[in-house]
Amino acid sequence: MLSRAAASLFWMARYLERAESLARLLDVSLTMALIDVPEDREEQLAVPLQVTGTLGAFRQQYDSITPQRLIDFLLIDDSHDSSVFSMFRNARDNALHVRGNLSADVWESINTAWIEIRGLRQQGVYEHSASGVFDWTRERSHTFRGAVYGTMLRTDAFHFLRLGTFVERADSTARVLNIRHRLAAEAMDHPTARSFFEWTALLHSLAAFEAYQNLYGHNLDPLNAAELLVLNADIPRSLHACMQEIANLLNEIDGGHGRKSKRLASSLYANLRFGDRDYIAETGLHDYLEDFLTRIQRISEQIQTDYMGW
Amino acid sequence: MKIERPAKGIYDELFDENHQVRPACRGLENWLFDSDEQLIADKRREADVLFQRLGITFNVYGDTDGADRLIPFDLIPRVISAADWHRLQTGLRQRVQALNRFLHDIYHDYEIVRAGIISAEQVFANDQYQPGMQNLKLPRNLYCHIAGIDLIRHSDGDFYVLEDNLRCPSGVSYMLENRRMMMRLFPELFARMPVAPVDQYPVLLGETLRASCLKPDPTVVVLTPGRFNSAYFEHAFLARQMGVELVEGADLFVLNNQVYMKTTAGPQQVDVIYRRVDDDFLDPLSGNPDSMLGVPGLYAAYRTGEVVLANAMGTGVADDKSIYPYVPDMIRFYLGEEPVLKNVPTWQCRKDEDLAYVLDNLDQLVVKEAQGAGGYGMLIGPKAAKQELARFRALLKEHPEDYIAQPTLSLSTCPTFVEEGIAPRHLDLRPFVLSGKKVQIVPGGLTRVALRKGSLVVNSSQGGGHQGHLGARK
Repeated sequence: MLSRAAASLFWMARYLERAESLARLLDVSLTMALIDVPEDREEQLAVPLQVTGTLGAFRQQYDSITPQRLIDFLLIDDSHDSSVFSMFRNARDNALHVRGNLSADVWESINTAWIEIRGLRQQGVYEHSASGVFDWTRERSHTFRGAVYGTMLRTDAFHFLRLGTFVERADSTARVLNIRHRLAAEAMDHPTARSFFEWTALLHSLAAFEAYQNLYGHNLDPLNAAELLVLNADIPRSLHACMQEIANLLNEIDGGHGRKSKRLASSLYANLRFGDRDYIAETGLHDYLEDFLTRIQRISEQIQTDYMGW
Repeated sequence: MKIERPAKGIYDELFDENHQVRPACRGLENWLFDSDEQLIADKRREADVLFQRLGITFNVYGDTDGADRLIPFDLIPRVISAADWHRLQTGLRQRVQALNRFLHDIYHDYEIVRAGIISAEQVFANDQYQPGMQNLKLPRNLYCHIAGIDLIRHSDGDFYVLEDNLRCPSGVSYMLENRRMMMRLFPELFARMPVAPVDQYPVLLGETLRASCLKPDPTVVVLTPGRFNSAYFEHAFLARQMGVELVEGADLFVLNNQVYMKTTAGPQQVDVIYRRVDDDFLDPLSGNPDSMLGVPGLYAAYRTGEVVLANAMGTGVADDKSIYPYVPDMIRFYLGEEPVLKNVPTWQCRKDEDLAYVLDNLDQLVVKEAQGAGGYGMLIGPKAAKQELARFRALLKEHPEDYIAQPTLSLSTCPTFVEEGIAPRHLDLRPFVLSGKKVQIVPGGLTRVALRKGSLVVNSSQGGGHQGHLGARK
């Protein structure tokens, strides 16, 4: 397929996945801010800004973080690219470029989302209505992925769309886990109701709360959470699951290009597939995740060089 | 529902002169009178939402807000009877065949000029004439693979050709989407009357494009100027429907006179380009050097026959308004047949006696630029203010060769939803003619409506609407 089209499909899927991740993250942070002791509220509210790397930009605009300011900045601000609104806009811009490669259902799912979010933005989003918008974002993202999975021909257009989804998801899981895991581990030192909330916040942010309960019961153990979200291939947002998809998708792409992408991805996939929790414990989760983030970034760049770089 | 009756002396597509519903429209009549006003209003809103969601929009040049404007869609279909369609089809086929013969002739043997039917000046001095096309052999001698012919129906009930569009005619996607919309909103209407299908158009277009190249199984692409073009939706729509790539200039490159597209698997050779980019912007090396839309070296590659452009370069000379008056003569000259479809009588201001007549009767005539498109530079005499008439009088005297004039035609009307309810509005018809191994036409077209009362401008860039359209009734 056209290199330009591949790039647009890849980025379109990344933006939508990113919007979903951000919505989850905001949802959890705002909930946590409600139940947290006042002095820690700001720390909770800062999480989405840290994950998206926008804390500095936010500070330039506001002196302190309040829920409404966070909503304004990360949900509907159109002056930077890190808000949910801008992500939908960028996704639709990319979709317009590759309309010819999208099934009618996929196009419609994105275009409808764009029309709706413009309406939401016009109405304004406030603390009491924000969770409705988070739900809406998640549903839109599900509809998009469902339309891709259910209506796209299994050609390279499909492969690049899915690659975008999983590269973004791997990146996002690692970032969220990195920050939320630290907060949760710190809370473990003072085992109170708060530590429980921190743990559930971590798991809810990555849609893994129910899975954790299923596998480990109520036993809150930092290493269990790490194992679940890094190594367990059955958790859709785990690093292992994402890398499995990425490695397989790269093999499906037509033509002999992309040897380097495939090598990098397969190697990272092997690390996860044959990894164990003791190694993570030895390395320390933070260092482990920092290394992962560097490598997934590298793979993303290599995919763009190999397939889209001209 | 209450329906305002058509004006006297104007042909109405639904009602005859005694206000009786025309035989081909009987099924429509019952539907229209039975339908509840509220229901129709709901359906109209539903249609708007669907069009917006599907992104069936039209960008208007010079309108920054209008980046995503919907063309108003009218729910009341315009019906063409099978008998009318049959005649139209015969006439369109004949006309486009003659135009293709003309284009081949003026780039090869100049027989029509030598026969004294058209002056050499009018052909060779035309802005749209491409000297580089001379003696270039094109597969099947085809220049105009896709033509959109604009027709109107006059008060005499007969169709007249208003204009031939032989460059990049657009609008066919509206024909297809409108039909789908009608089937979705009013399935019962299709049960009441037999309607000939139009959905096969993309298949026929694909067939036509592949037949434009003599290689077996050629690679076809659609070349678009990009998403800011007014017809981008259509380009993407057709590419998707045909299952071919939608490319922009930057996706293509030329190497050793071969055209390639940049793909994820490396360069892939392109054999046929269905280009929706104008001649001048196709290749910055030979046309407009500032063009970012084209492909450097494309013209040279084209000249070696390594790639097919559809439509060919230089077709604009044949749809120019100054050439238009000669089309009936072309049909006689090349095909030895009498034209089935009439031309609108046209005065060519380049001729002294025509100019004199035009100046004397300016308030009765429509004056158009011979090389204009889009309805921007025209005068509608009976509707024009004094200053406007004076302005055109001066323009005509200064550059008579730039203008033609035609009588004010009474375009036919069709009941249309407007603010005040249902009222007759003027409309035209653009069927699309495909020329490949044979000439093919799907039974339908784009019908554009002038939404303002009495307005005769149906061009969609000037606020016209489009109407749900039911093709030939069998």
